[in-house]
Amino acid sequence: MSETTTKPQSIPEEIERFNVTFRIQHVLMFTTFLLLSFTGWGLKYAHDPEGLSSVWIRIWGGAETAGLIHRIAGVTMLLDFIWHVIYLFYLLGTGKIKIRAKTTVLPLPKDVVDVIKNFMYFLGLSKEKAKFGKFSYAQKFDYWAVFWGMFIIGSSGYALAFPMQIAPIVPEFAAGWIWELLGLMHSDEALLAIVFILFWHFYNEHLKPEVFPMSWIWITGKISTDTLKHHHPLEYELLFPEDAEKEKHGQEAK
Amino acid sequence: MIRSKLFVVAAPFFLLLFLNSTVFSEEPSNCLYCHGAMKGQIKAQSGAMTELNVDAERFKASVHGSLSCAECHLRFSDGSHDKKSQVPANLMSLSSKISSKFRDPVAGAACLKCHEDIYQKVLSSVHGLNITEKKQKDGALCLDCHGSPHYITKAKDGKSPMSRKYQVETCGKCHGNKELVEKYKLEENVMDSFSESFHGRKLLLGHNRAPVCASCHNSHDIKKKDDPASPVFGNNRLETCGKCHKGASPKFVPAITHKRPGPIPHYGEKLLILLTMGTFAFIVVHVILEAFSDIRDSITKKKGGK
Repeated sequence: MSETTTKPQSIPEEIERFNVTFRIQHVLMFTTFLLLSFTGWGLKYAHDPEGLSSVWIRIWGGAETAGLIHRIAGVTMLLDFIWHVIYLFYLLGTGKIKIRAKTTVLPLPKDVVDVIKNFMYFLGLSKEKAKFGKFSYAQKFDYWAVFWGMFIIGSSGYALAFPMQIAPIVPEFAAGWIWELLGLMHSDEALLAIVFILFWHFYNEHLKPEVFPMSWIWITGKISTDTLKHHHPLEYELLFPEDAEKEKHGQEAK
Repeated sequence: MIRSKLFVVAAPFFLLLFLNSTVFSEEPSNCLYCHGAMKGQIKAQSGAMTELNVDAERFKASVHGSLSCAECHLRFSDGSHDKKSQVPANLMSLSSKISSKFRDPVAGAACLKCHEDIYQKVLSSVHGLNITEKKQKDGALCLDCHGSPHYITKAKDGKSPMSRKYQVETCGKCHGNKELVEKYKLEENVMDSFSESFHGRKLLLGHNRAPVCASCHNSHDIKKKDDPASPVFGNNRLETCGKCHKGASPKFVPAITHKRPGPIPHYGEKLLILLTMGTFAFIVVHVILEAFSDIRDSITKKKGGK
């Protein structure tokens, strides 16, 4: 850091956005998510013995097999989530990542402002889109949705899959209604999760013109500095302050 | 129209009246000679309609296919056939108890001859007492659940109304019938609550171990839910649920009930729906607006991104 800062920075072609651990966690997350959605959907909409749900579940090997797949995928997803949280604490504890306003995934007041700014832009009321740090509000929403899902769907799913183990810790006053509530929580919020992924995640990471058919970061883990500059300008400024500075001056000179 | 139809079907029937009673031998083929061909129903003195046809092939394939007709049709109380066998005393007394239910109560009581244990269980069950004591006509007895005695197949056979496939539907003939539910003050939401439960859904999807009605409520010796002898009464559920869920505990067994959800799950769900709809509204509006603005930008191409 002593001499290099005085020289003009060399800008690499691409930088690593997600390391291999994060990428594996993501692959596990979406694989189990798809399995859970496919098998759970059949149970949620089971209304007719000869209906679509029954045919669909037969494709998955029948009710028993589909149930087994659902349980295995559910436990795997929960373990994946726990692994992720432990890993984050490890990274924070060893100082490998630091919480900074421009790179954190934690929601900040700026995100609300960004949403408003973007809506103004969408409606043609403003000429500027919001400028994001490492994680846009859309990405933060995507990320924290998983935590919400784990909290609501994961916990209720675990209780429904292993009721014998959970029953002893159910408080006396709740035993009369907790199971019904757990079932509703699990199925209603699972529907929300599926709709969320279909609209939010699919649009932002697959259908958007600049990423179609998909953003490849999930495999490569790399983001080109060019994309970074356009989509995460605040992070770019942080990583390459000199180049960002130059750019600014250049634009002002124009 | 109906009258003429009745006359047509009744014609061979009158013919039978003139035949010598020895025609009615113990061989079912003799009865089926006519009843296998007859079609339609006939009105008995009591006003009930009686199906005249007996499908010989289905009868032969049924569990009772080897019995002779007279085994159960010991006599014809409406005098349609000149046949009088000696009716054992126990059948006679049973037939008078269940007379509200049958046009020919002796035939209805005849099940007792072979199925005594089970019949006694039924008679002491809530279904049986409803007929023997309250003299109701619309309560369930053997045939209401098992179907016509001529075509009974084993419950394991997929076509039986008591099979896993049809049992819920069969019980639902009464327990899902609004008038009967009101009349007898039955639990009112049993059919819907079952089909919405995990048990019902799994059964529907063809799960081989998903329970049907009788799995929890027993079959012939069915009791009212508030009868201490009922398998779903209070702590009896620990054993009943424990048949499948080993180690079922008092805090586990309330998981399945036919009652409507209480206020907490009810409003809890409303809250979750509100949350779902709110999030849904936000993301759909956002995605649509963003998509339009992306399209707008690509058309106008106003600023040089690159």
